[in-house]
Amino acid sequence: MSDLNHNGNLGSSLANFTILEIGNQLGDYAALLLAGLGAEVIKLEPRDGAESRRIGPFATVSNDSEQSIFFWRYNLNKKSVTLDVDHADAQPVLAALAAKADIVLLSGEFETVERRLPLWRKIAEDNPRLIVCTITPFGLDGPYRALKATDLVQMALGGIMAVCGYDPADDGVYDTPPIAPAMWHSYHLGGEYAAIAMMAAINFRELSGEGQFIDVSVHEAVNTCTEVAIPTYVYSGQVVKRQTARHAAPSVTHVRLSQSADGVFMLAGLSPFEREMRALAELADQVGIGHVLGTPEFAQLEKEDRVAAAIYRNDLLEEVVGSRSADEIFKRAQSVGLAWSPIRRPEENLDDPHFAARGSFATINHPELGRDLRYPGTVASDGQSPHFSYTRRAPRLGEHTDEVLLRAGVSDTTLASLRKTNVI
Amino acid sequence: MSNGQAKGGRALEGVTVIDLTWLQVGPQATRLLATFGAQVIRIEWRERKAIDFIRYTPPFAPDHARADGGRSQGVTQGHGTRNNFDRGAYFNNTNPGKYGITLNLNHPKGRDLLRRMVRDANAICENFSPGQMDKWNLGYEELRKINPRIIYMQTTGVGKAGVYKDYVSYGPTAQAFSGLTFLSGLPEPHPPAGWGYSYLDHSPGYFGAILLMAAIRRQRLSGAGCYIDMSQSETGLMLSGTSVIEHQLTGKPTARYGNRMPFRDWSPHGAYRCAGDDNWIALSIQSDEQWRALIEEMSSVEWALDRRFASAAGRKQNEDELDENLTTFTIGRDRYDLMNRLQARGIPAGVVQKAPDRFDLDPQLRARGYYVDLPHSEIGTWPVEGFPAKLSRSPASVGGPTGRAAPKLGEDNDFVYGKLVGLSAAEMASLAEDGVI
Repeated sequence: MSDLNHNGNLGSSLANFTILEIGNQLGDYAALLLAGLGAEVIKLEPRDGAESRRIGPFATVSNDSEQSIFFWRYNLNKKSVTLDVDHADAQPVLAALAAKADIVLLSGEFETVERRLPLWRKIAEDNPRLIVCTITPFGLDGPYRALKATDLVQMALGGIMAVCGYDPADDGVYDTPPIAPAMWHSYHLGGEYAAIAMMAAINFRELSGEGQFIDVSVHEAVNTCTEVAIPTYVYSGQVVKRQTARHAAPSVTHVRLSQSADGVFMLAGLSPFEREMRALAELADQVGIGHVLGTPEFAQLEKEDRVAAAIYRNDLLEEVVGSRSADEIFKRAQSVGLAWSPIRRPEENLDDPHFAARGSFATINHPELGRDLRYPGTVASDGQSPHFSYTRRAPRLGEHTDEVLLRAGVSDTTLASLRKTNVI
Repeated sequence: MSNGQAKGGRALEGVTVIDLTWLQVGPQATRLLATFGAQVIRIEWRERKAIDFIRYTPPFAPDHARADGGRSQGVTQGHGTRNNFDRGAYFNNTNPGKYGITLNLNHPKGRDLLRRMVRDANAICENFSPGQMDKWNLGYEELRKINPRIIYMQTTGVGKAGVYKDYVSYGPTAQAFSGLTFLSGLPEPHPPAGWGYSYLDHSPGYFGAILLMAAIRRQRLSGAGCYIDMSQSETGLMLSGTSVIEHQLTGKPTARYGNRMPFRDWSPHGAYRCAGDDNWIALSIQSDEQWRALIEEMSSVEWALDRRFASAAGRKQNEDELDENLTTFTIGRDRYDLMNRLQARGIPAGVVQKAPDRFDLDPQLRARGYYVDLPHSEIGTWPVEGFPAKLSRSPASVGGPTGRAAPKLGEDNDFVYGKLVGLSAAEMASLAEDGVI
């Protein structure tokens, strides 16, 4: 209860919280989010490292457990302890760690998590305030619980792939596959929902003094994110169709990708509001492209042939976008109130003055590289409100083993013996 | 399917949230708070131009659906007349568990009434265009004078602080800006495939729920209020994977990979066409062992025995040819049968499920009670998408404290103004006459 009073940084919401993270890449992001809120996250890794250390890209040597950029990105602020959690001799160590922990996060394939759970049920009996959260591909029960999955397979079964991809060919038949958007998105969704559930459990504990068990299903997390797909089917029986860079919808909507003079794809669309028509006319005037918008002639066309009028507007839009650089069109469009944006590569944001002003990228020192790297991660920070922030690079394997275990009350002699038997 | 009512405790018991949000990104966060027991009061106004666009987003409940007869009561799918703001399917799925009231903030008395409600609330959330609340003199600095404990969350496309603070955007704009749209799709010169749903109308809601719950806990413990400046595009940066870091080390522009896996030596790795109309199966081969199991499933077809495909490196190197060949195997096959056969051999494989597959066929979602039946006061009981985790002591309940799907416009005026705010019937009648509520 008193942690907030002792903590100078009010925005660091989970200061004095300790989380034990055991498992694979299904849990990395959830724990990263809580670490960003100020919790101490202790990652318990097998002696050859967590599986996420084997995911690329790699900074230098491929498959070197200290060089995985994936591991770096998803393990900022955390501490690493090597501990073979499945070894019988690890049990007293886990109990000692759990006695001082608030949350245990178990992630991985169903069989692994299922095998580890009984120990945690027992430990939770002695620690009624403990919150135990599992993240598995399909949840702990149900007929699919033991199915094999990867990020791609989760995006397929969860329904996001079916709504993402390219327009069908002119004959209406899709000649490109559905696309799993970006990468690791099923882990992002599972992680975000796990963090939400854990925050709810933390709040419940403040009211009741009780911990609890949380069972997160990545499959369901992916399922929550298909917008109108389910309601459209459930109510009307219609099935939405995937379309290039726009919402999946029951019918194919008009194309919205256009290219700037410097070849950048722009997300530039028009809503059927008079305000937006006037804005397009103003933008065309600004870049010196002649048009008939706003004339009686165009009003007549709109009355007589709405499709032709729409085509005229879209052609004009394309011509306007194609007349200048993406950056210039972006700023000009915004100045007339059009919500357009270039489709940027992620790295273009590194030098964007807006994100610089907000401090959206955290500068993280990598002593081993002799340099800093900037990571996305600071969200909603004004320093005073709860926010996510990151200050420390991901841990090297076992970097904090001695520090954490000694603090938990494990003796020097026990440490030496555990080391000898390859438990730590 | 469960009835959506929590049986255990509520994590956000006693928390009141004033919900001025609209569209998807704002209501997502408050939906999650209602799911954990907060009393979320959704404020709307009756004028057409003020009504949440999502209320008008098709489809609509079929015309024959009534309060006592929704889909879960046996009513069939069908056509619904457009433009009925109390019958929208998407709105119903986006706003369950909330109370709904009408309040005219363009009226001075309306603003006074809001201030009165803020006095006793824990949090207020809005995603108007930047500056709208200040125009009404209802910004955080004003509201904290009335209630210093208030938590105020403002969600905008790029964030309230920063160079582009006045920029306008929708979720897709923020997504294009953040780099996420670029990341999705087949390698260049294909254009980005981008999104088919708007990530950045969802994720800021998740981040928002996390931060609101952190702020509520802090408020409970210390009484502190705060302002949360939620930027859609900033959360987009969080989802951009390793691209930005890799770029700093290599200097190379970020590339797209379609459905392939550039970060592990896994191949084949993609979506492959099956029998039927636009039917696909996704599979990932993670090891030589799985590759040999796939060959067995393909009855040792000749092309698969090609030595170039025998090692992970060889498969990666010849991935185009591998994919073409594999499609000759999958193309005539039933997608679910193939998924079951591959899974039985330990191969990660899954049907690219469309909405009917997920709603009618998926046995896992059914067993886990993912879809939740909730009553709506005009269109009857319909399934709503649920919360993807089970909590043993304070369960998620998408029906929230109302135990209902979305509110009709102004449905809870009597309850909220009468019971919670404490207005008399005469006061309410007079405010209604003045066009305030």
